[in-house]
Amino acid sequence: MLEVKNLTKTLPNGRRLLDGISFKVKKGEFVGILGSSGAGKTLTLRCLNGLLKPDSGSVIIRDEHDRPLDICKINKRELRRVRQKIGVIFQGYHLVKRLSALENVMIGKLGQINTFRSLFYGFTDTEAEQALKALDKVKMSELAGSMTGNLSGGEMQRVAIARAIFQSPTLLLADEPISNLDPSNAKTIMKMIKPLSEHMPVIGVFHQPEMTAKYCSRVIAIKEGKIIYDGDPKLSNKRLEEIYGEELELIEQQEHLLAAIAK
Amino acid sequence: MSTAELTLPSKKYRQKMTVFSIVVVAVALACIYTNFNPLGIFMEFHYVRDLVGEMTPPNYHVLSDNSSTAMAILQTLSLAFLGTLYGGVIAVVVAFLAASNTMPFRAIRLTARFVLSFLRVIPILVVILIFVIAVGPSTFAGMLTLVIVTVGNFGKLFTEMIENVDNPPAEAIFSVGASRMQVIRYSIIPQILPTLIANLLFAFDVNIRAAIGLGIFGGGGIGFQLQLAKSVLHYKDVTAIVSLIIIMVIVVEKISDYLRRKILGEGKLR
Repeated sequence: MLEVKNLTKTLPNGRRLLDGISFKVKKGEFVGILGSSGAGKTLTLRCLNGLLKPDSGSVIIRDEHDRPLDICKINKRELRRVRQKIGVIFQGYHLVKRLSALENVMIGKLGQINTFRSLFYGFTDTEAEQALKALDKVKMSELAGSMTGNLSGGEMQRVAIARAIFQSPTLLLADEPISNLDPSNAKTIMKMIKPLSEHMPVIGVFHQPEMTAKYCSRVIAIKEGKIIYDGDPKLSNKRLEEIYGEELELIEQQEHLLAAIAK
Repeated sequence: MSTAELTLPSKKYRQKMTVFSIVVVAVALACIYTNFNPLGIFMEFHYVRDLVGEMTPPNYHVLSDNSSTAMAILQTLSLAFLGTLYGGVIAVVVAFLAASNTMPFRAIRLTARFVLSFLRVIPILVVILIFVIAVGPSTFAGMLTLVIVTVGNFGKLFTEMIENVDNPPAEAIFSVGASRMQVIRYSIIPQILPTLIANLLFAFDVNIRAAIGLGIFGGGGIGFQLQLAKSVLHYKDVTAIVSLIIIMVIVVEKISDYLRRKILGEGKLR
């Protein structure tokens, strides 16, 4: 379904941010990408939907006619077409705060509807009903009409997930979707993302090894732009130390703290 | 880390006194050079006193007997309204052309920015002068002037409003395959709309006052009536018209304040 080959990205000063990242993801997989800060996790994810162009390498995705397309090489028009089928959930939710929750969900289909209609008429009632159903799946239909800026962090992330569901993508990317949330909200969000992986590959960047161990079906660990681990989500302490280095202690402290708060 | 230089109080005092003396000397020199007597305001006050005597009591009959005064008020209001509307629409369009997050082509962006700065630096009285020569003294000349002035004053403000919107939503909208126009429609416009409308109400408020001033210089409306009354030395009529102007300005300002507060929410009035 998705094949990443040999991604590299180098800063002008010669620092290698991505150094030959390659992996394949199939339908039904929920892949968690782990790594310390600055390892290149988010960078990799941004290459997957063309928000960032790597120096070399390719991201192969299949379009609706099952033809392989390289996201790194296609033109703007084709990229827009490919993006219609890639859902993205961001750490900062990336919602328009001055629009209602329902309108934010409907934005998910903007790429798929006629531009002229979207500019002057807007969405149809049928689309609104579908969007409401998507909101219902994340248990947000009661707040559909409220201004997004007034929602809490967890609620906003649920709206963002509903936006991705409504978009009906064939690939879902999640960039640190739970990093801004408290532990109980984070769990809710993970529980909502996991079932989506039955219909499409889901790739997420995470900072919480205990969350990926619990919900993901596979973990990829990146360090200094290279994949150093790819396999079972349950990681041994030794492996975690290898991935995070000195940062590990900090993460553990944080987890204890969060667990204490959650209780 | 560098330690900050410590200034002793006596030295600080000397510094302050130096600045103060320089200002005093400059004021004195300027007064001598322009032949201005600083006490003149008080010594020649009898002129003002005489004028006030001639201006009171106000001749309110001019407002009720003469229907042209009411017409003139309406004219001023409409020319301010049209000037704000057309100027506002043009300002918004140019602002979208000038903002870096809506216009990808540098050449167009720089041209739009140049137009905005150019319009901003021409003084309003020069603009009315040009239009009075071009189309003759009329409310039309006044309206055209207000259009130019509104674009100049608010175009840059709107450009900055557009550039300061929250960028992440745009990224999310691009990432579902939307076009730039769709991003403008679904991310930028909803974010700027309330502030935009509030600013246009404010512009209307400013333009009413400008329209009165423009009338004196050939822009028509109540300013023109004021100019007429003055030139035939009917000072009592002038007072009546001025009081009417003051009431109109206050009423318009209160209404615009109320609407802006409604739109932006309580406590956000600038």
